[in-house]
Amino acid sequence: MVVVKRRELTFWERIYLPEIFRGLAITFKKMFEPRVTRQYPEETLPTTEVTRGQPRLVVKDDGNIACVSCGLCEAACPAYAITIDGQETERFIEREPERFEINMLRCILCGFCEEACPKEAIFMSDELELADTTRQGLVYDMKRLERPASTLKPRIDYVRRINERW
Amino acid sequence: MSDLTKQTSGEPSTIERVEITVNGQTVQARTDKPLIQACVQAEVEVPHYCYHPGLTPEGSCRICQVEVQQGKMPARVMVACRTPVMPGMVVNTETENAHDARRECLEFLLKNHPLDCPICDKAGECTLQDYSFAEGQGEGRSVEPRRKLEKRKDLGDVILLDQERCILCTRCVRFMEEVPKSPQLCVAGRGSHSTIETWNDTPLSGNYQGNLADVCPVGALTLKSFRFKARVWNLTKTASSCGECSRGCATTVEVLRKGEVTRIRPRHDEDVNGWWICDTGRFALDAFSLADRLVGTLLPSASRGWDATSVEDGLQIASDMLTTGDKPLIIASPWLTQEEGGELLALGQKINAQVAFVSTASNDLADDVLHTGDPGPNRRGLSDLGLKAMTAEEILHTASEHSTVLCIGERVGRLLGEGEAEGFNGLPTGARVLLFDCELPEAPTEGNSPIDIAIGLPSSVERVGHWVNIDGLRRNILQARPAPAGVWNTLRLLKHLHELLTNREVQS
Repeated sequence: MVVVKRRELTFWERIYLPEIFRGLAITFKKMFEPRVTRQYPEETLPTTEVTRGQPRLVVKDDGNIACVSCGLCEAACPAYAITIDGQETERFIEREPERFEINMLRCILCGFCEEACPKEAIFMSDELELADTTRQGLVYDMKRLERPASTLKPRIDYVRRINERW
Repeated sequence: MSDLTKQTSGEPSTIERVEITVNGQTVQARTDKPLIQACVQAEVEVPHYCYHPGLTPEGSCRICQVEVQQGKMPARVMVACRTPVMPGMVVNTETENAHDARRECLEFLLKNHPLDCPICDKAGECTLQDYSFAEGQGEGRSVEPRRKLEKRKDLGDVILLDQERCILCTRCVRFMEEVPKSPQLCVAGRGSHSTIETWNDTPLSGNYQGNLADVCPVGALTLKSFRFKARVWNLTKTASSCGECSRGCATTVEVLRKGEVTRIRPRHDEDVNGWWICDTGRFALDAFSLADRLVGTLLPSASRGWDATSVEDGLQIASDMLTTGDKPLIIASPWLTQEEGGELLALGQKINAQVAFVSTASNDLADDVLHTGDPGPNRRGLSDLGLKAMTAEEILHTASEHSTVLCIGERVGRLLGEGEAEGFNGLPTGARVLLFDCELPEAPTEGNSPIDIAIGLPSSVERVGHWVNIDGLRRNILQARPAPAGVWNTLRLLKHLHELLTNREVQS
């Protein structure tokens, strides 16, 4: 058996009040300093074109989806989050996705899909929020992924600029 | 010697071999084969588009150029697919001259070839894509626009032609001439206006059109049924055998994400099918559909429809049924493997039952290429084992003498249906019918069920075993995807039933 001997408190420690006043002094001082806490979700984080949010599919200006379901993002995805089934279309570009699903629970926002895409059809948007009550609700289908090209414009321009470098 | 070096037709009785050198390696090369086969033998990869081991070499793509030095002549670059093997040849595939020649050829092939690999169905298994990735330049030097041709040319029910992607290797033309011996395709036009056409736009006919999509080295000829269905790298490929006729062609079964069989392609087997497969076997995908499968055990309900139970309980009931009546009759389907057939025979002996299999009626698909016209892949094997072959009519006749009939095997229900319809698929109404099949039988109507118990079996893409084809060659089938949950392996099921019957015997 080990007997731990408790340290004897000094007189100042025993009367307790000096420590209270010291703490309160810090509190008063902080009251006049600028606040750093962000009131999320009322106040959201600023996003830039570099922000790598959730992937979204581009809908071109003519209303058609830019994706040709080539499957490269599916192959590049390290988390196996993407599932694509293709189908034939009457358009000049013969192929389009019949099913394009991203399991947002699996997605790790790495941006490999964006990098792999040969058709500029998938981009990391500035959308970061992700919540649902079911798991199935977080498997996003094409309807939930499609965004007009105009909303993704800053990111598209940024990626093009980066790609030009090499 | 590797199988790759063999040719389909007419193996000569004496094969003459000469010694040549390929990339510094000494090879005993066959003189009846082009030089490219000697390179294959030396495991040296030479790119080729117009050359196909099962077709006559033509030498139109020029991509297989290698440097050959012979005797005192200086080394020259020549096409490996059209050069006969001569003694003392020194072949080098990796010299600068050979590389330059191939690179220049590739540049011409890519001159008009569209850059739509993301859309093209061949991407991932396209040799032009592979070789241009390995050897090609990053950017084209051509300033002229690519030629514009028809992107979706209809060539009948099976094949669609994309003329822009075609590199005019004429493999398809030669295939139609040489294998089904019905020349229907030709190269029309001259120079860069050349296209693959059928005469007067007649749609293609015959039972071997599907092979065109396989022989095409690029994505020009595509199967209409497979078009844009799946990316080839997502398909799990399993070597198996075709079960649509007694030829039992070697196939590759390709399954998309452990689900449906998406494509069936021929696999090279010299003695059975060469490189080809007929369209009947290629498009028999519905037979492996996961919809309407018989899973677990189904018992006719007191009111109408089915009551489901586990396979274990089902086999208990089945063993009761098999032992209570008089001498039962066992009817197998010719899709059973040798192993399953043997086990079934042992089971038949146990309960003193007659074991027969359905001798399928021959259909009118027989030709002198591959199709034997006899559906039923293991007819020969099961006969060899000692099962009696009976036509559906004979079975109907015999079954009336038995009170219990056990029908077992893939498609057995459908095969019996080919006889006269009376009771369940031609079986007598009075008999007790036990059905072990893949397909979900029709639900019974009120108080009138022709089937007394139905137990699910795996289909031929979900089990392992051997079939013996019409020529007596033993070929295996392999599991391409897991069977649906609640389906037992046929062999396990038969063994369990055997065990139950043995236990019953011991108890009594």
